[in-house]
Amino acid sequence: MADTAATAGAGGSGTRSGSKQSTNPADNYHLARRRTLQVVVSSLLTEAGFESAEKASVETLTEMLQSYISEIGRSAKSYCEHTARTQPTLSDIVVTLVEMGFNVDTLPAYAKRSQRMVITAPPVTNQPVTPKALTAGQNRPHPPHIPSHFPEFPDPHTYIKTPTYREPVSDYQVLREKAASQRRDVERALTRFMAKTGETQSLFKDDVSTFPLIAARPFTIPYLTALLPSELEMQQMEETDSSEQDEQTDTENLPLHISTAGPDFEAKDALVIVIGPSVPRVLYRSRRQVAASSSSMQVECSRPVLSSVICRRASLLERTCL
Amino acid sequence: IIKLNSKQCRIYRVRINDLEAAFIYNDPTLEVCHNESKQRNLNYFSNAYAAAVSAVDPDAGNGELCIKVPSELWKHVDELKVLKIHINFSLDQPKGGLHFVVPSVEGSMAERGAHVFSCGYQNSTRFWFPCVDSYSELCTWKLEFTVDAAMVAVSNGDLVETVYTHDMRKKTFHYMLTIPTAASNISLAIGPFEILVDPYMHEVTHFCLPQLLPLLKHTTSYLHEVFEFYEEILTCRYPYSCFKTVFIDEAYVEVAAYASMSIFSTNLLHSAMIIDETPLTRRCLAQSLAQQFFGCFISRMSWSDEWVLKGISGYIYGLWMKKTFGVNEYRHWIKEELDKIVAYELKTGGVLLHPMFGGGKEKDNPASHLHFSIKHPHTLSWEYYTMFQCKAHLVMRLIENRISMEFMLQVFNKLLSLASTASSQKFQSHMWSQMLVSTSGFLKSISNVSGKDIQPLIKQWVDQSGVVKFYGSFAFNRKRNVLELEIKQDYTSPGTQKYVGPLKVTVQELDGSFNHTLQIEENSLKHDIPCHSKSRRNKKKKIPLMNGEEVDMDLSAMDADSPLLWIRIDPDMSVLRKVEFEQADFMWQYQLRYERDVVAQQESILALEKFPTPASRLALTDILEQEQCFYRVRMSACFCLAKIANSMVSTWTGPPAMKSLFTRMFCCKTCPNIVKTNNFMSFQSYFLQKTMPVAMALLRDVHNLCPKEVLTFILDLIKYNDNRKNKFSDNYYRAEMIDALANSVTPAVSVNNEVRTLDNLNPDVRLILEEITRFLNMEKLLPSYRHTITVSCLRAIRVLQKNGHVPSDPALFKSYAEYGHFVDIRIAALEAVVDYTKVDRSYEELQWLLNMIQNDPVPYVRHKILNMLTKNPPFTKNMESPLCNEALVDQLWKLMNSGTSHDWRLRCGAVDLYFTLFGLSRPSCLPLPELGLVLNLKEKKAVLNPTIIPEAIAGNQEAAINPSSHAQLVGFQNPEASCNMSAHQQGVKRKADTPLGSPLEPGQILEKNEDSSKVKLKIREEIDMDTVHDSQAFISHHLNMLERPSTPGKEQSPLEMSMHPVATAPLSVFTKESASSKHSDHHHHHHHEHKKKKKKHKHKHKHKHKHDSKEKDKEPFTFSSPASGRSIRSPSLSD
Repeated sequence: MADTAATAGAGGSGTRSGSKQSTNPADNYHLARRRTLQVVVSSLLTEAGFESAEKASVETLTEMLQSYISEIGRSAKSYCEHTARTQPTLSDIVVTLVEMGFNVDTLPAYAKRSQRMVITAPPVTNQPVTPKALTAGQNRPHPPHIPSHFPEFPDPHTYIKTPTYREPVSDYQVLREKAASQRRDVERALTRFMAKTGETQSLFKDDVSTFPLIAARPFTIPYLTALLPSELEMQQMEETDSSEQDEQTDTENLPLHISTAGPDFEAKDALVIVIGPSVPRVLYRSRRQVAASSSSMQVECSRPVLSSVICRRASLLERTCL
Repeated sequence: IIKLNSKQCRIYRVRINDLEAAFIYNDPTLEVCHNESKQRNLNYFSNAYAAAVSAVDPDAGNGELCIKVPSELWKHVDELKVLKIHINFSLDQPKGGLHFVVPSVEGSMAERGAHVFSCGYQNSTRFWFPCVDSYSELCTWKLEFTVDAAMVAVSNGDLVETVYTHDMRKKTFHYMLTIPTAASNISLAIGPFEILVDPYMHEVTHFCLPQLLPLLKHTTSYLHEVFEFYEEILTCRYPYSCFKTVFIDEAYVEVAAYASMSIFSTNLLHSAMIIDETPLTRRCLAQSLAQQFFGCFISRMSWSDEWVLKGISGYIYGLWMKKTFGVNEYRHWIKEELDKIVAYELKTGGVLLHPMFGGGKEKDNPASHLHFSIKHPHTLSWEYYTMFQCKAHLVMRLIENRISMEFMLQVFNKLLSLASTASSQKFQSHMWSQMLVSTSGFLKSISNVSGKDIQPLIKQWVDQSGVVKFYGSFAFNRKRNVLELEIKQDYTSPGTQKYVGPLKVTVQELDGSFNHTLQIEENSLKHDIPCHSKSRRNKKKKIPLMNGEEVDMDLSAMDADSPLLWIRIDPDMSVLRKVEFEQADFMWQYQLRYERDVVAQQESILALEKFPTPASRLALTDILEQEQCFYRVRMSACFCLAKIANSMVSTWTGPPAMKSLFTRMFCCKTCPNIVKTNNFMSFQSYFLQKTMPVAMALLRDVHNLCPKEVLTFILDLIKYNDNRKNKFSDNYYRAEMIDALANSVTPAVSVNNEVRTLDNLNPDVRLILEEITRFLNMEKLLPSYRHTITVSCLRAIRVLQKNGHVPSDPALFKSYAEYGHFVDIRIAALEAVVDYTKVDRSYEELQWLLNMIQNDPVPYVRHKILNMLTKNPPFTKNMESPLCNEALVDQLWKLMNSGTSHDWRLRCGAVDLYFTLFGLSRPSCLPLPELGLVLNLKEKKAVLNPTIIPEAIAGNQEAAINPSSHAQLVGFQNPEASCNMSAHQQGVKRKADTPLGSPLEPGQILEKNEDSSKVKLKIREEIDMDTVHDSQAFISHHLNMLERPSTPGKEQSPLEMSMHPVATAPLSVFTKESASSKHSDHHHHHHHEHKKKKKKHKHKHKHKHKHDSKEKDKEPFTFSSPASGRSIRSPSLSD
């Protein structure tokens, strides 16, 4: 009840600063409003010739009035928003009233009727102060290109970077080590996955799982894979990629991409480039296979794609660990 | 009678000048020894085979196809008029000569990359069309091929035009070759090729299979330089007006040169990222181009002149090598070739370059030590032929040494200019003989040009087989200041000969290097060589070397009394020899360090293996580190160092050999266990980097195990291998790392033969296996170039099996050996199976291999299996083996007797294997009953008598066979001739046929068959005549005969091939003996299910001399495979 009243009040008054759920001060505010409405109902009853009324009927009429005004407010707000405005205008209200079956033309005459009673304005009650929900820092003002009616920036802590200064990994040995072992892990995971999902051969009759070899499958055109190995294709691609990155030659103790301490996220990106070579490889391969568009191959290629997802997840994990 | 060569072809009719001519087709090589003889003696087979080959030898005027000139035309012959021969024939499912590659994927033939090409060993053109299949019969050619519009036909000569057929679905390629060319140099390749016109030389065109164009571009980008080089040294333009290179799959040999076109294996193609393949491919290109000049343009007079062609082409190829790869590489190559030929000759007993068969008697057979005849190229073992080529170019180099290179090139130029003059003279066949080279002609022009007598040299190396074996030792006589050199020869062991003549000896003394020429004579063993320097050493004096360089040496190691640093015998390799020379270890070390000749360095490395001392170690390490040193020397130093380290394992100090060296050269300074990221810009260090770990893995500790440190080191190399920044592929490098892992494996310690399981796997082996598994699996996802890594992995797995770490099991290899894998993988897998067969003595695997030899689609693989089985035989003749049984003998016998008639090389391979397994005489595993017969054969030379039929074996000692009974036999067979015969009867039938085929020049069968056979002949001739009149029956009869060899299997995808050659017969038809009498030309056309249609092409014959022009109309291959649902063949365009 209090809720609806609150929104009705907000809608009816048409102000942006709608009251939010509030505790005591808000309750008082609402009570005051309601009391004013009761006065209105009572005066209208008097105007209509009633001398007395039961409390219950006054309450009911008050309730009806309140609902009616709330509905006007709600509906007017919708019309106004419909026309991409935030402030309702008179026409919004008029349309709303028409919509609700009210004859607007009678309104001016009714307002100017002789026997109307003038009610004193309701006592000015303090608008309930919305309690500040844990603010941290200063909200940023809108930059000039954002209209002021747009919502304010959220609290800075929700979007602003928090620089944490951690020692970046720049030791050549560690990097090489990491690159090597990660590459190996990925390769192993990938081949194991392939072996698990496909046919295998084994060197040991009693144990087929420890050293699973992906079964040899003859090619229809064996020389093509042999002379145009996807590996080289890959390497060429990588080469063009990496040549843009930098001209690295193998000097001793070379910190691969991360030369000096920098923001953490940059370091991470660089590492991904350094570390995850097998991920793009697999992706390329699947692309190639799709290009081949042989139906049998397509079934095949779903596997590398799948596994590449796995790889990528692995490398993501690795990244977060860093 | 005109005799032509033809195999496999089904001949429908022959017409001479539009007159029907009777013809007889008989190919004695189909089945060498017929009838159900139990004869299993290789001597017998070899003789019979040689006889069969000479019975159809075009150089001797023989052939498989005998055409009888109709009597109406005899007048023409007498008047020396031109005869025109038309032959209608078809070729169904050829088993040899033409090879089809049809990948079984979806799509049209062109989309599938299906192609066909001609192939074969020596003169094999007869496999695909009837011709005089000789290198000495030249004629000009006109060739036509009609193929599917999506295909390209590549053949010899200029492409005159390409014409679409009416329905636009086919194209006819017209080729014209105006330079007289032997039929054996005619070739063909058809496929959906991508075409590249050489950007440097527009007359050169390259063809490759779809998708490989970028590789083709890169691979052939070098070819023009080879052209320039040859043209410059020969001062002669490339003789043909165009040149074509075709790269095809499933090649018979890597390089095959034909007139104006060369056919290469597609596996030679490579991209710019591949290091190792590049020099190999360039060599192949250069080799084929050299053969264009000598081999295709200039052909040979006879088989015994082959060495001149091979020698010259090999020699100029060597000159190209010297220019391209440098003198070091060249000398290293010469040394390698020399070592090879020496080892082969010592093993088998000699390679004869110029076999002469004077007198016709087999008594003084020059090659009695061999199990095959060297009279014909087609009876030669492949290995022998390779060695033959190798020796030929080495001898050519010896001639150059004698007469100087300038004269040598003048001789070549003379040969070429004579030939090109002759070639432009049309229709003068006697002029064309200038285009044929003979030994005598070659020698004559050498003596004309140089004025030098090289007869002794020729006699020593060309007319005689064998190499020289020297043993040398020396003593220094201080009083006389003389070096006493003793040089002994071994000329009694097989494959050796005695050398008399000059021999150069180089002595490096303190005061310099001095050459001495010793005269090697019969009885002089000792030679005194005066020394120039006093043994008193001048301190601080630099020592002059041979090349004028002066170096400082640490002389403390040498003998204080002697001024000798080192001695070399025959430093220029001007004798085909093996030298075993004794000198002190410090002398070898000096030689290694300071002699600038790579051959000398190589020799000293070899010698130092016997001196495991710290000084040797130091010398080798120094060489390894020396950047200026030739990389191959450094590579062999690695292996020598490993051997030395193993010999001195108990006294070895410091880290394992080469480890610190490798670390210094290739690892990071700050973290020595991590190798630098790959950078192969310097090829020398690349090769060294590849080789060192392989050599290191051979190190063993006191327990004869590979040191843990080394294994970890190699595993680290693999782990930290990082090729991302490299311009080149590292696939060969990684493959060598796996080889290194395999090298580190030592035999498993097995406790009372327990079964190998995972649980008792050695932890080191587990690590190795893990790497191999990973590499092998990664290859499936990201294959490497030529699958080098898979190949290495397979080898490594076999090593693990052999050493008992992993259960021995051929199943894995068998799956990799299946058709459809890349050929390198297959060969590696097959090698493992062969090895398994030997070690585990498995009959099943042997059968599997034999089955593959018979049925594999790729001829090269079949050849290779035989070759590997011969090299690594499951058992040998003197060995007891459960595998050696009668069934196997029969099987192999059948294989070489009749199973391999479509491929000379394969048959010779089978003969080699039979020889290795059973030796020359009867296999010991056979039961005895035939012993009597064997004796009989020996005394009566009945070896050549084919009539050893069961009756004869039954104790009939008389060789003569009752003619009437034989005729009866024939008569009995006759009714069946027209119906289909079972293969079983084939033998007898063919025998019946033989006399029919050779009334004038009896085949091998009749040669020794005296009177009785003559009677038989007559009988047969009558029958012959009868049948001829009843031509329909005659033809069908012969069709049946022909059908058997050519269409053994299903009929579903026959190759239809039509040729329309038109020929003019030469005037000399009546002189049967002369080779020029043969004459060919044929014409042919064939139409599939329909009745044959005749077609004729008229040609103008401007001269009465022979002029062959030939046209072929090739109907596209008809692959009516049910899968594709589409047949490319279409009705013939002609008529």
